[in-house]
Formats: sequence, C-alpha cells, structure tokens
Amino acid sequence: MRILISGLFLVLFMACSPGNKSEEQAFVDDLDSAPIEDQAVSGEVNEILHRIPSPLEISVLLKESGKKYNVAFLNSPDNLSRYNTNYKRALNLGIYGTDLGYTNIYEQSQDGIKYMSTIKDLANELNIGQFFEMETIARLVSNSNNLDSLLLITTQNFNTINQYLQTQNRSHLSVLFLTGGWLEALHITCEVAKINPDNLQLQETIGGQKIILENIMHLLSFYKENDENMAGLLADMEGLKQTYDKVIITSIYKPSTFEVIDGVMVIKDNSSSTIEITQADIENIRTMTQNIRTKITS
Amino acid sequence: MKKIFVIVFSVFVLSGFHAGAQCNAEILSTQCIPKLGSGFNFLKTYKVEKGGKEYVEYSYVFTKGTQYMINICAPSQNADGIIVTLEDAERNKVASSKVNDQYISAIAYPCNKTGIYYIRYTFDETSSYCGGSALGFKR
Repeated sequence: MRILISGLFLVLFMACSPGNKSEEQAFVDDLDSAPIEDQAVSGEVNEILHRIPSPLEISVLLKESGKKYNVAFLNSPDNLSRYNTNYKRALNLGIYGTDLGYTNIYEQSQDGIKYMSTIKDLANELNIGQFFEMETIARLVSNSNNLDSLLLITTQNFNTINQYLQTQNRSHLSVLFLTGGWLEALHITCEVAKINPDNLQLQETIGGQKIILENIMHLLSFYKENDENMAGLLADMEGLKQTYDKVIITSIYKPSTFEVIDGVMVIKDNSSSTIEITQADIENIRTMTQNIRTKITS
Repeated sequence: MKKIFVIVFSVFVLSGFHAGAQCNAEILSTQCIPKLGSGFNFLKTYKVEKGGKEYVEYSYVFTKGTQYMINICAPSQNADGIIVTLEDAERNKVASSKVNDQYISAIAYPCNKTGIYYIRYTFDETSSYCGGSALGFKR
C-alpha cells in the first residue's frame, strides 16, 4: 500500500515537472538568487509586472520614425559565456529579448537567429527552455513575410514564461528579466537620441520612462532584504532615479469623446501630458543607463 | 487496494469534468489576438473570469503618441455583457464599452497622456461571467 501511494505521489510530481533539467538541479542553480516570496507580495509583484510596457513598443517607434538599424547598440551574443549566475542570466535574458525584438522589427533575420539561439541557451540554463520551439521560430525568422507571426510567437513566449515563473514562485526572475529588457530599450533609445539630438519624440520617450523606472524600483524593493544582487541593482536604479527627478511630467485630464466605427469604439483623447526634459538630463540618463548596463552585460 | 484505485480514478475523472465545466478564459483570450485591428501589434492577453470580486482589473502604462486596442471575446456572440472600462492613473474615466445599452467588443484608444491606465472588466447581464481580452498597439 505504501509503495503504491509513494508511486502515485512520484508520478504526480513528475507529471507536474515541465523542465528539461531535474528539479534538484534547478534548485541548486537557483540558490544564488532565491528570495522568499509570500502570497501578498506575489500578488502585488504580478500586478506591477503586467503593467510594464513591452520593449517592442520602443523598437516600433524607432523603426517607424525612420531611424536606421544599428547592431552595435545591442549586447553581443558572444557575451553569453560571461553569465554564470541566475541573476545575470535573467537580466541578460531580458536584454537579449529586447535585442531580438529590435532585430525582428527591423527584419534582420541573420542577427535574429543569433539572438534567438542565445536566448534559448540562457533559457535552458534557467530551466525555462521548454517554452522556445526553435524550429518554428527559425522558420519564421527566415522569411520576412512571417514578421507578424514571429512577433506574436516571441511575445507570447515571453508572456508565458512570466506567467510560469509566477506560478513557480520564481517571480524574482521575472522582475530581473523585465528590468533587463526595459534597461536595454532605454539604452537603445538614448543611443539613438544621441545621434538625433533634436528629435522631440525621442526626448519625450526617454522622459516618459520615469514612470516605468518608479514601477521597476518598487518591484526590486520587494527583494532587497533577501537578495544582495537585487539590493545592489535597486541602489543603481536609485542613482538613475535621482537624474530622472529633474524630469517633470505634467498631466491634464479632460473627458474623452468617442464614435463607433465598424463596431469599434474609437476614442478621442482630450487629455494631455507634457514632459519637461533637457539635453543635459538626457545625457545624464544615457550615461547612468550605460553604466548600469555595463555592470550587467560584462 | 481496490478503494485506492477507485479514489484515484474518481479524483482524475471528477477533476476532468470540473475543468471542462469551468470558464476557459485562456482559450478565449488567445482567440482575441487575431481579432485585434489591422496594423496592431499584439502585447498581452487578459483572462476575464469572475473570481472573488465583482470585476477583474489589470493595469498597463500607455504612452502618448501610441494607439492601443482592447478587445473582448466571450463564449457567445459579441461581448456577452462584459464591459471594459478604461481609467487613467487618477481613476478618471477614459472610456467604457457599454453605450446605449449596447456592448461594444473593441476599443481603440489613441493615447495623448503617458501614464498608468486601469483596464477593468465588469459583468452586466452576462450568461457566462467568462471571457478573454487582448491588448495591442500601433504607432
């Protein structure tokens, strides 16, 4: 009887283990970054994680405003071997995720394949490699007509990973992954703005990141007591926040109007916001971002 | 021994039946993705199922100069009494998908004010209390 019950537990346990590695190995790998997560914190973390915009929005902005593709802005896939802790793997998974989105938006399939392969390797190390079907993605990357499908699959993959990590009480990896992705998008935007100093849209985009930074700092603050890596990252973000304190965002609310066109309610937004940011602020933000990114990618 | 098999078998079978009768918001939200308007890039899916609260709420940071689309998919036709309400960071109402007793299944929102927005789903004369939703964007 005992053997039967033990056997049933074992079967159930194994059926619930989706990883490529054993749970034991995943546990050992996670020891270098395993903050305690209680349910109340987890709920708030998940809520904030959901609201952080996709870095893809910035890549689309850059492409559609006519800015040229520049692979030099990105983190080289050759740096992969440097990332030997889950802390660095998760942050750089986010960075490479943004880089992949950037290559996809610009339809740079050869670079895209390299980034996809790098992401798959990092994801395997984090025991989430099962979410990437490389054959399907490689097929989509090879044909620019498949851009929509490619973007859909990669976006869905990253959303699924975040959901999975949350159910596994490994949301801290989601937080790092998201922080890396956001930082890379900010870095790329700052580099493009440096080349195009008169572009007001880019300046506003950089200034608007103040709201995201505040949310990311809030996320990191949940882990600062239990994880010195995340506490260090939060301290770096606090430095960036001091620079952002000079950026002033003013919002005015006015009720919106709408009309229904072909079954879609099209809103006319009568509210507005203005972002006050100087060239000096942008240069300071660029330098601070570059410093934090260098720590993560080196 | 027989009892153990009966119990285990029953648990598996009953859990299967239970799952089948539940709301499949995951599938409904996935079905919503291709229904995003032309030119919109997919961002997120949201599950809309009645839990402990009378509503389901998510938030997202919208960016000035970007147009967003939120749509609703329900098991029956159209939005099946599911209303999506959009509010800004200060909880000012920006849009509601119920107009003149009609339930609109998609909202297009060209954002003019960067900030946190709350996307709230409520149930009004719905038959299922179950649905899915997708969020997309375009510049």
